[in-house]
Amino acid sequence: MSEHESMRELLALAAAGALDVEEQRRLEAHARECPACRRELEIWGGYSQGLRQLPQPSIPAQLMERTRTRLVQERAAAADRRWDELMLGALALFAWTVGLTFWFVARIVTGGELVIMGANLVRFGTWSAGSTVLVWLTAAVAAIALGRRRRELRRAL
Amino acid sequence: MILAATMNPEAFSGAPDAIAGMRRGDPDAFTAMISRYQHRLYRYLLRLVREPAAADDLFQQTWLRVMEKIGRYDAGRNFESWLFSVAHNLAVDSWRGQRGESLDDAGDADESPRGGVGGGLRSGDPDALERLLDFERGAMLAACMHELPAIHREVLTLRFEEDMKLEEIAEMAGITLSTVKSRLRRALEGLREAMDARIPGGG
Repeated sequence: MSEHESMRELLALAAAGALDVEEQRRLEAHARECPACRRELEIWGGYSQGLRQLPQPSIPAQLMERTRTRLVQERAAAADRRWDELMLGALALFAWTVGLTFWFVARIVTGGELVIMGANLVRFGTWSAGSTVLVWLTAAVAAIALGRRRRELRRAL
Repeated sequence: MILAATMNPEAFSGAPDAIAGMRRGDPDAFTAMISRYQHRLYRYLLRLVREPAAADDLFQQTWLRVMEKIGRYDAGRNFESWLFSVAHNLAVDSWRGQRGESLDDAGDADESPRGGVGGGLRSGDPDALERLLDFERGAMLAACMHELPAIHREVLTLRFEEDMKLEEIAEMAGITLSTVKSRLRRALEGLREAMDARIPGGG
């Protein structure tokens, strides 16, 4: 590639101010001797100026207000989600505590034996499994109901 | 949802104050920053996606993502660069799986040398005819830019309208400096080819 051809590759970048110090120096030295490249630099300079003066788009009506509203709504929704998770966790813990308490009471009242359909319900494992299923089912129903209520409230707003 | 009865975004006169406010979740801080950057960010997104409705939606999504990630924003990093990086990534995500637009080099134009003779573009003194010519030139440049691939529109917007340094563009877009220069050169050459196609012949 000749010096002239290698310089031509730099012309567009020169208009963008994207040459390093050495490239700029070489291009300036070449342009002093080459009318064609000087002319090209002028043309690229015109493109550079034109690109800095493009027609500017108009901002859509109330874009800022709509964006702010959406941010506030999302922040409220995130706070609701955190609250719901906290409440569900607390309720699950409460349910476990109540279940454990009832297990103690049941063991005392029944003397450790309460067999229904071949299973001793006051065995810790059986009681735990049953309580866990009950707690998770209740939590799932509560989460669905809460979610529906929140969506209805937001639609109403 | 009831919005704050009084908004006081003027309380956040400086970017560091506003960023601290955003970290606390202060809506006024977000309002101040949205106001500060709305024109530039919207312009960047519109140049990228070309559709006002899509740019509008991406604009809102950008600020939602900023709100979500502001806690992890590194204060040592330029906020503008980070903001535009968020917008860039959302635009990429919005195109994922769609054909046509891409911010990857696979969607780049070819390297064929520029053909045709460039029309002489004049910059001028503020005479009425010159202003008209400048206006028409700007409109035609914008129309030609609209035809370029997204990665070229992006680099031209960031360099010439946002006046970002090449290093900032590289960081924002997650590419190397040499890739930025390469895209910039191809973008300018592609733009000139498009202009030549509209205005054949010499000036």
